[in-house]
Amino acid sequence: MSEMWINMGPQHPMTHGLWNLRVKIDGEVIVDADPEMGFLHRGIEKICEYRLYNEVVTLMDRCCYVAGMSWEHLYMMAAEQALGVEVPERAEYLRVMSAELQRLGSHLMWFAAFVQDLGLMTPFLYGMRDRDLVLDLFQAYTGARMTYEYMRVGGVRNDVPVGFTDRARRVMDWLDQKIGEYEDLCDKSDIFVARTQNIGVLSASDCVNLGVTGPMLRAAGLPRDLRRDRPYSVYPELDFLIPTHEGADVYGRYRVRMEEMRQSIRIVRQTLDYLDRHPGRVLAERVPRFVGAPAPVPGKETYVLRRGYPKGRGFAAIEEPHGEATAYVVNEGAENPYRVKFRSPVMVNISAAKSYLVGYRVSDIPAIMGSVDICVGESDR
Amino acid sequence: MSATLYDVAYWISSHLLGALGGLPASSLPGAWGVGATALAWLITAAVVFAASLVNILVLIWWERKLLGRFMDRRGAMHVGFAGLLQNLADGLKLFRKQVFSPREADPLGYYLAPTAYLITSIVLLGFLPVSAGFVAGAVPLSLLLALAIFSFAPLFIFVGSWSSNNKYSLIGGMRTAAQMVAYEIPLLLSVVSVVILSGSFDLGTIVQDQARDGWYGAPLILGLIVFSVAILAEIERIPFDLPEAEAELVEGWNTEYGGILFAMTMMTDYIRSLVGSYLVVLLFLGGWTLPTWGGLGILSSFPLSGILWFQVKTYIVFGVFVWVRAALPRVRTDQLLQIGWRRMLPLSLLNIAIAAGWVLAGWPHLTWPSV
Amino acid sequence: MRPKDVVPEMQRTFPDSVLEASDRQGILARVRIEPRAILPICRWLRDVAGFCHCSLVAGIDWVETREVLYHLWSDEMKVYLELFAILPSDDPHIDSVGEVWRGALWHERETWDLVGIRFDHHPDLRRLFMPEGYQYHPLLKSLELHEPEELEVKARHV
Repeated sequence: MSEMWINMGPQHPMTHGLWNLRVKIDGEVIVDADPEMGFLHRGIEKICEYRLYNEVVTLMDRCCYVAGMSWEHLYMMAAEQALGVEVPERAEYLRVMSAELQRLGSHLMWFAAFVQDLGLMTPFLYGMRDRDLVLDLFQAYTGARMTYEYMRVGGVRNDVPVGFTDRARRVMDWLDQKIGEYEDLCDKSDIFVARTQNIGVLSASDCVNLGVTGPMLRAAGLPRDLRRDRPYSVYPELDFLIPTHEGADVYGRYRVRMEEMRQSIRIVRQTLDYLDRHPGRVLAERVPRFVGAPAPVPGKETYVLRRGYPKGRGFAAIEEPHGEATAYVVNEGAENPYRVKFRSPVMVNISAAKSYLVGYRVSDIPAIMGSVDICVGESDR
Repeated sequence: MSATLYDVAYWISSHLLGALGGLPASSLPGAWGVGATALAWLITAAVVFAASLVNILVLIWWERKLLGRFMDRRGAMHVGFAGLLQNLADGLKLFRKQVFSPREADPLGYYLAPTAYLITSIVLLGFLPVSAGFVAGAVPLSLLLALAIFSFAPLFIFVGSWSSNNKYSLIGGMRTAAQMVAYEIPLLLSVVSVVILSGSFDLGTIVQDQARDGWYGAPLILGLIVFSVAILAEIERIPFDLPEAEAELVEGWNTEYGGILFAMTMMTDYIRSLVGSYLVVLLFLGGWTLPTWGGLGILSSFPLSGILWFQVKTYIVFGVFVWVRAALPRVRTDQLLQIGWRRMLPLSLLNIAIAAGWVLAGWPHLTWPSV
Repeated sequence: MRPKDVVPEMQRTFPDSVLEASDRQGILARVRIEPRAILPICRWLRDVAGFCHCSLVAGIDWVETREVLYHLWSDEMKVYLELFAILPSDDPHIDSVGEVWRGALWHERETWDLVGIRFDHHPDLRRLFMPEGYQYHPLLKSLELHEPEELEVKARHV
């Protein structure tokens, strides 16, 4: 049969989001790939120009709905740099705890979807069940399971409730044990190993040139992780490892993410210890009035009216669960940001599709695209 | 007393027509006799059809609950007691949907394929013995006939996939055809080993021989495994469900089917699963008989015990199939074909050699040929 | 190369093209360059200075001019460098850096789509998010968010 273009999407059970993967196949083998984005483009960057600084947080949750806290953290760091606001340390620890819990949630979701694409139906539900535990933790202190709106310019919205740290520790112990079980379930299955090794190989030099970051890059052997290379927030004080793998294939990315989950548990435990020992403020004392109201305590108005709003630019880069995400906020002295620009790791990882899809079979597409960990919300914004 | 279902149906129909026409039931003249025969066949077919449909519904219920428990959830819960009526509700929902065909599809092939698929699979249920007398129509070479009709399916799948006018369906249909052809051969070869030990192609005789000599699953353990794996590939369950792998091909060859046509397809898949489990039980696990030595004789002494134990064994075998589905990932097409041609084929030949070895060592019962 | 040498070396190697450099908190430097010299500067940055990863290409609309922005990352020095160039609004175009970093290609597509900056010698400059045939560049200040727009976009027939 001659070559033909197939559309996998935009409506397709596998693609985990609204995008179109066009592949040109010759029988069973892929000879070309052309991903099409834009089906989920909501104009988030444009809308941000019409919102106050604190109101943008709602958009960040929806930007990547699987990793909301990470994107909130990213935007907040950039906005605080643009506005010149300092954050109290307890708020930083709360932010890091939220980000690492979110990494756990995102990787569990990835695991569930990844094995489901390969045909393993049972770990899909185990992963979702455990992710539910993490979402319950989020609900305990933010009130929501997915759209948290937790962070504000200058800190976070509220502190964690009493008893939260004990509950979180119990969840971490449970997850620690379960991750080992899931690894066993997959590694000891010959079919799983045969379907994931030497598939979707993207070498380290290709990754770097194509701009691919995150677990895909670490699976190729290059230990670049922004939490270690360009530390932000309180990461310099935390103790964790950066997992890498040498294979640069689907199996390597799977191993890197499982190990990252373990390291996230380790970080969360350290932040919980800090939160137990050091009470304090969770919102900065002096926040510019025009950022939008963060629920003031009655009688303690802590706003400062500045004459002439300051100008500035803010840049932040975090290691989001999918890779390197950056935010650039241009503050021209108005109540709204003048321009907000986000770099989405998933968009760049998808743009390299031709390099890691060509030469493999159509049956390998779910395994490869699953290992790329696609979240279309942040890719399209 | 043991009478086949047909005898009972003929008794009913002859007495019915006799009462209508004022004639004695035992000797009906000419057209009345033909009418009685036809009515008997109709009653038999209706009973078998109804019983099989109920069996299929319970089978699907069994799969859903068991799969749910493997996944740490409860499965269907609300419709009927413990979700027993859930599948009936699903079937009724599909029944009342609009029947349509895509604009560019070939209508003859599109409507013919699932219909013929369903009909040929239901035919299988017409002559597979469920108990000593519970068989709709006794056929001398039932094993051969069952395997032959079982392998009609790829043809209709191919027709359906091509006439849907959809690239996904076409790929799915081609994969199905390749997979089924590849796994027919180990299937048939492992059946040959059973025939060597038993000497007969008739399923009733095979079961009686197992009752006398012991279940063939014991000496032919390799054959049991090969046959089960080949059946899994034939009925397209995980780990061999690549043709309908929803992660890649949406629904495989029946992507474009909806409503009652889809219901027919799904029902046929489960009918084939049921027939596959029946064959495993009939050929290797002693059919409807249980061992009678020691004190176990009382288990087989009540009426209809044969049917009961046959269903129990079938559901246990199908439970193992569900377990496999819950636990294993999907095998890729080329790996699947490699398994079929490179591993299963030599193993099934080895199995034949083992069976021949047992015969030479003096397997008790052998009158060759016996039909 | 050490981080504090990068900007002086760059100013020395491209004396007419590096227009100004300023320190930015969190970024090594914010360097304004001449649009014509973007390709040689980027090649130099990748090969000599070791900026192996192009993280971002973005556009900002300052109504009379447009600014195109590049963020580069170096694995050895572990710093970000920001390059920017100011382009006139009536004909904003600049050379594509896709041949230096292939990862910049989709960012350039997005910048063309949303901000309207054209990249010369780009192998495949088509719209990324908006459908083909869309007449506007949405992130320009001339497109008001809350006013309806008139569209003439036809669906693509597959």
